[in-house]
Amino acid sequence: MPSIPLSYNVRSIRVRWRTTLATVWGVGAVVAVFVMVMSLARGLKATYVQTGDPRNLLVLRSGSTAESSSQITREELARMKYLPGIERDAQGRPMFSPEIIVLIYLDRLNAEGGANVLVRGMGEMGLVVRPSVKLVEGRMFESGRRECVVSRRIANRFANCRIGDSFKAGKGEWTVVGLYEAERSAYESEIWADADEVRAAFGRDFYGSILLRPESEETAARVTKRIESDLALNARVLKETDYYSDQTRSAGPIQFMGGFLAAIMSIGAAFAAMNTMYAAVGARTREIGTLRVLGFKRRSIYLSFLLESVILSGVGGLLGCLASLPLNGVATGTFGWTTFAEIAFEFRITPELLGKGMIFALAMGILGGLLPARMAARKPVLDALKA
Amino acid sequence: MTAAGFIMRNALRNKRRLLLTVLSVSLSLFLFATLQTALRELTEPQTNAEAALRVITRHRISVATVLPQKYLNRIRQVPGVEAVSQFTWLGGVYQDEKNFFPQFAVDPDTIFKIITEAKVDPLQRAAFERERTACIVGIKTMNRFGWKVGDRITLTSEIWNCSPELVIRGVYSGGIDESNLFFHHDYFDELMDGFGKTGAFWIKVRDEAAIQPVINAIDSSFRNSEAETKTETERAFQLGFISMFGNIQMLIGSISTVVVFTMLLVTASTMSMAIRERMREIAVLKVLGFRGSEIFGLILAESFGLALLGGIVGCGGARLLYSNLDIYTLTQGFFLKFEVTPHILASGLLLAGGLGVLSCLAPAWAGIRMSVLDGLKEVD
Repeated sequence: MPSIPLSYNVRSIRVRWRTTLATVWGVGAVVAVFVMVMSLARGLKATYVQTGDPRNLLVLRSGSTAESSSQITREELARMKYLPGIERDAQGRPMFSPEIIVLIYLDRLNAEGGANVLVRGMGEMGLVVRPSVKLVEGRMFESGRRECVVSRRIANRFANCRIGDSFKAGKGEWTVVGLYEAERSAYESEIWADADEVRAAFGRDFYGSILLRPESEETAARVTKRIESDLALNARVLKETDYYSDQTRSAGPIQFMGGFLAAIMSIGAAFAAMNTMYAAVGARTREIGTLRVLGFKRRSIYLSFLLESVILSGVGGLLGCLASLPLNGVATGTFGWTTFAEIAFEFRITPELLGKGMIFALAMGILGGLLPARMAARKPVLDALKA
Repeated sequence: MTAAGFIMRNALRNKRRLLLTVLSVSLSLFLFATLQTALRELTEPQTNAEAALRVITRHRISVATVLPQKYLNRIRQVPGVEAVSQFTWLGGVYQDEKNFFPQFAVDPDTIFKIITEAKVDPLQRAAFERERTACIVGIKTMNRFGWKVGDRITLTSEIWNCSPELVIRGVYSGGIDESNLFFHHDYFDELMDGFGKTGAFWIKVRDEAAIQPVINAIDSSFRNSEAETKTETERAFQLGFISMFGNIQMLIGSISTVVVFTMLLVTASTMSMAIRERMREIAVLKVLGFRGSEIFGLILAESFGLALLGGIVGCGGARLLYSNLDIYTLTQGFFLKFEVTPHILASGLLLAGGLGVLSCLAPAWAGIRMSVLDGLKEVD
């Protein structure tokens, strides 16, 4: 069965450039909106997924689902610190960081209003158990001097967070002495200082959590069992990476919005494509008759028109993807429900997401092309020629 | 044939196209109405007359930092203060993490003097005040979980280390937020081993003139103390919360723009299709002596009517749909309500009408400019 050459469709599309443009735009807009909103959800999720070291264990009070509601007393801390199975550094100190988080309210840099920002007090091994973190400017805080280091992202979004700046929080002023980066993880939404100073400044006589590094996988299981079965401890142990990946659910509402928008918009765009294709079939009735006389089968005509619709939407999809690309990597932030604080992240457009956008576009093309193509194929030859 | 009849005939000559165009315009306007409503619910705190007389005292550092309970007595003595209650966000879930709704530990004897718009049966209120583990729940939450007065529920806090076991002694309705649960702050303190702290104080002020003096008096009285306070009106407090969401406003705004622009293009292309089909008829009309302005009027009316119809279906459909859906339950409490207000409805229709006018300008102009001869030569 001979098929109608593709160039026929391409030329036809060019002749009707006005309606073509509208359809291409419609499909492109749907794909762009879909990719943008989903990339927001992606970015937020990726931030949590990337946080934590798979070797680390996080100790919380049993029953607590978040660091902010967990409490670990100093007695409990002492009971855990020298447990066998915890990795030691070169000087023989256990890789064990007692931590406390508090929230402070900071003003945004270039906009009105402000947001809660998470301040993490950490032990002297805090950096050692987080090898993904790099100081990019200045130096690490020194304990006893009310100093802190700020993630570069937070410094870019909030006032008084540059090196040398200071801000008031709790009892006293904190001076920023360094900026850090943490491979785009959730740590990049935090400000770090010495745990005991934070406890003193915010009047907490307990710690919130403990981050520790066991010697190996096997010892991790032993350490976990040892801590959880200790009746004097009332603690639970989980992998640090599990703790953070659980928080990806906070991207749920954004994801829902993306799906909802894309679904409704794509139906609208499919209608528009259908309109264009019906008009195309109508305007080319005589051509269709001619094609039939030349010996092309109904099927070929059907496929040809369907293909034309798919080409239209494919071009639209490509343009939509292109239009969304500049957003990749743009920094933004929103409210994290788990921490009650600002979580900074960036739009993240992956090839997979673009692929999904294209599938969406092609689906719209097929949906919009099916009925008009059927109409074209069913036209009686003689009537078509007379038109 | 009247002009209206002529326009109708023209619009209906291709029913399939009419249907598809109206549907795609109405879907766009449906989205527009949905986005604007979502934006409004998220960024414009709902207030009423009662809320105007409420102020909230919280810790200066952040809403998540607690204040000493003993501040209560000093706040109560500030002139202009009618009632004060402790107000602590429990952040608990009922059975499952999905079942999230707002719960607050409060002072049972004063809370309904502050949230005056919440109506409670006096007997239920008395029962609530008497019993240490009693709670009063908003009608929306009662319906959501199918609770009845007398039911026992256990909440597990995700913030505090406690799990209050409560018995429902009353239901309130009225006011903007009918989803809250209120229980005794004393009971919360007991669970927290004599906590002695509260998340915030909610205060009812005597009259409007007293608001600013009360705010100043409270904040200055705790200046340089162990926990400095920030007092603000309920509206300012809520706006502070909203600013934490970041640039969601910009996001929704830009999506709306894309939607509207797309809609414009689709309508414009349909109109130009419809007009180009009729070049010959337009020429005939001219021969018959119709002036350019009259022909333009005919085309404009058709395009305007078509877009407006789409607008009515889209915006009206959104209003109808959302007023019949239980958005509160569907979104698991994310949106308290989802009302397509008359204002949003009007701006949607205005937008639709404007689009109808704009989208026919270029094709109509081309039709009018064309010479009669060219028009008559045109073949369909």
